[in-house]
Amino acid sequence: MFVTDVRPAPAAEALSNAAGVSPTRRRRRRVPIAPYLYVLPALILLGIWIYRPLVQTFQLSFYSWNLLPTQPLTPVGLQNYVSVVSSQQLRDALVNTGIYIAAFLVFSVVLPIAIALLSRQVGGRAKTAYQAIIFVPFLVTPVAAAAVWRWLLSDSGGAIPTVLGNFGIDIGDVLRSPSGAIWAIILIVGWQMLGFGVLVVSAGIAGINPDYAHAASIDGAGGWTILRRITLPLLSPTIVFLVLMTILLSAQWTYPMIDILTQGGPSDSTTNLYYLLYQIGFQNFDAGSAGAAGTLFFIAFSLLALGLVTLSDRLSFYDN
Amino acid sequence: MSRIEIVQLTQQFKGHRAVDAVDLVIEDGDFVVLLGPSGCGKTTLLRMIAGLLEPTQGRILIDGVDVTELPSKKRNLAMVFQSYALYPHLSVAKNLAFPLAVLRTPKAERVRRVHEVAASLGLENLLERKPRELSGGQRQRVAVGRALVRRPSAYLMDEPLSNLDAKLRTATRQELSELHAELSATFVYVTHDQVEAMTMATKIVVLDAGRIEQFGTPDEIYHRPASVFVAGFVGAPPMNLVVGTVGSIGGVVTATAEGIEARLWPGVAEKRTVVIGVRPEHLRLDDFAANAESTAGSASALSVEGVVERIENLGSEQVLYLRVGDTLMTARGDDFGALRRGDLLALSAPIERIHLFDEATGQRLEWVPEPDELPAAAAQVAVMA
Repeated sequence: MFVTDVRPAPAAEALSNAAGVSPTRRRRRRVPIAPYLYVLPALILLGIWIYRPLVQTFQLSFYSWNLLPTQPLTPVGLQNYVSVVSSQQLRDALVNTGIYIAAFLVFSVVLPIAIALLSRQVGGRAKTAYQAIIFVPFLVTPVAAAAVWRWLLSDSGGAIPTVLGNFGIDIGDVLRSPSGAIWAIILIVGWQMLGFGVLVVSAGIAGINPDYAHAASIDGAGGWTILRRITLPLLSPTIVFLVLMTILLSAQWTYPMIDILTQGGPSDSTTNLYYLLYQIGFQNFDAGSAGAAGTLFFIAFSLLALGLVTLSDRLSFYDN
Repeated sequence: MSRIEIVQLTQQFKGHRAVDAVDLVIEDGDFVVLLGPSGCGKTTLLRMIAGLLEPTQGRILIDGVDVTELPSKKRNLAMVFQSYALYPHLSVAKNLAFPLAVLRTPKAERVRRVHEVAASLGLENLLERKPRELSGGQRQRVAVGRALVRRPSAYLMDEPLSNLDAKLRTATRQELSELHAELSATFVYVTHDQVEAMTMATKIVVLDAGRIEQFGTPDEIYHRPASVFVAGFVGAPPMNLVVGTVGSIGGVVTATAEGIEARLWPGVAEKRTVVIGVRPEHLRLDDFAANAESTAGSASALSVEGVVERIENLGSEQVLYLRVGDTLMTARGDDFGALRRGDLLALSAPIERIHLFDEATGQRLEWVPEPDELPAAAAQVAVMA
């Protein structure tokens, strides 16, 4: 006779008992509040300093008000939106913002990729020194940088016009030229942003497992093929991040330079959306129009950001 | 398809020599395993062969052609990385096709080869997946597939099984062996796992501190280890190694240590300090009854006396730990019977299972009888070249 080793029944009973007990235990378990408490301070600050003004801006966009506390707010419906959208100033600022973004994509994405890839050839301490030299301008406060560049570009004895003059190139007073001023501002802000771009791209490249490039080279790929088919695709999340930063923040980065060097002039040739916003609100004291413009920019930039974040998620390969 | 010749190859890193003047000839069709503990230089050596690391000194020749200065893309090698290095942004099919794509193989040929390789490795259903959607074993297959898709002159593998679980490792080991037999190509395989080395290799290179300790077949490595290092590194549990003395008594060469006595060959040997080695599975329980009648016959053997410390039961076998003098020796057997901790015990091993190493250099010592075989003539203990 064969006898199979059957587990004794009590064990099975104990199992079912345990199953019967657990639901009540689960019901009694409290929702943990500790994690929410930890993030609460940050949430409160965000609410007070970011979201409350945002809501107020939205509210203001439906009123006419000159920022004087003694003056009443007059409801005007969508009038502010109509005047902002039909303003020539806004169109100029929009075009300029487009030019700024396109130019900064070169300084914060294209050049950093080239520089970071080239600096891979530099080894050891020289590399650190090299990257530091490129990164330092980013650490200079915009106001100080603006002052230095104004002197450098001054048509009465500035270093750059003088040197170029020796080669027979006359750039005149660049910051007062309607066609040249925007390029001077692009160059100055680009010079500052370059370091940031190089830093981000270098970090991105450092995050790519060197095994991929090694494997590709054993598979028969040359340097250019590896760059095009392995390194750049793997770097694409970083590149999208930089594009996102450039589009969303270039208006902010240029603001101090515009304010200090040109005040948007000559004849609005260097103004951008944020500078225009500031002018409407705090030079023309038209809180309603500024609110309307602010709301429109917020919506437009949000949509752009959403698109780019989605793209960046799709391009992430989660290296294991 | 290819013979790899390595001449005085050296890699000097800051402050230490990862590979130290290594000479090695890998014959066409060999499955050579570079075996050693971590930091012994095995991966560095492989990377120099692959062209990923420029040697400080020395030459590498493939089929007689000096490739030392050649970039890796021109060496026509294939490599499987420990991390597999599957391109994370490409599907399995594109990963497999990559080596063909960079060589501008016609598309039809590319598709045919990818499907051939995928079929042989059971990857047909995974071709459209990205590496992150694969299990560890599937990734490993894709990595091997990418190496197989071309016909390289040699296959290099850097610990390709170390990220797999034990069961999968055993299965993959057999598959790699079959693959080698099928392709009859040259394989150079790096591992720290002696089981992988013993089961797959046709030749094993045991490395320590950047130098080759021994180059030989798995059998030679196991049964005739060239040094104390090899003896201790290969085998589990490792070989028992005890410092003792070689001498001769009454025309017989003897080796003795505390609790150990061996009567070896007829002859005379100068007194010298040696390391006596014997593998755990070659130590047998002394059968006292049988011993009594054949004392003369078993005289030329090693006997060990000690106190039982513990017995581990592994199911298929038992491992006995015996305190002999200051050292703990191990013995492997089917069944040691009803032994208890503290029991006095004698074990013995046949003469051909005893290894002697020079204590100072760690080199294996071989007994070479004098040509005239006169027992009284001065015999010598030669250091194996």
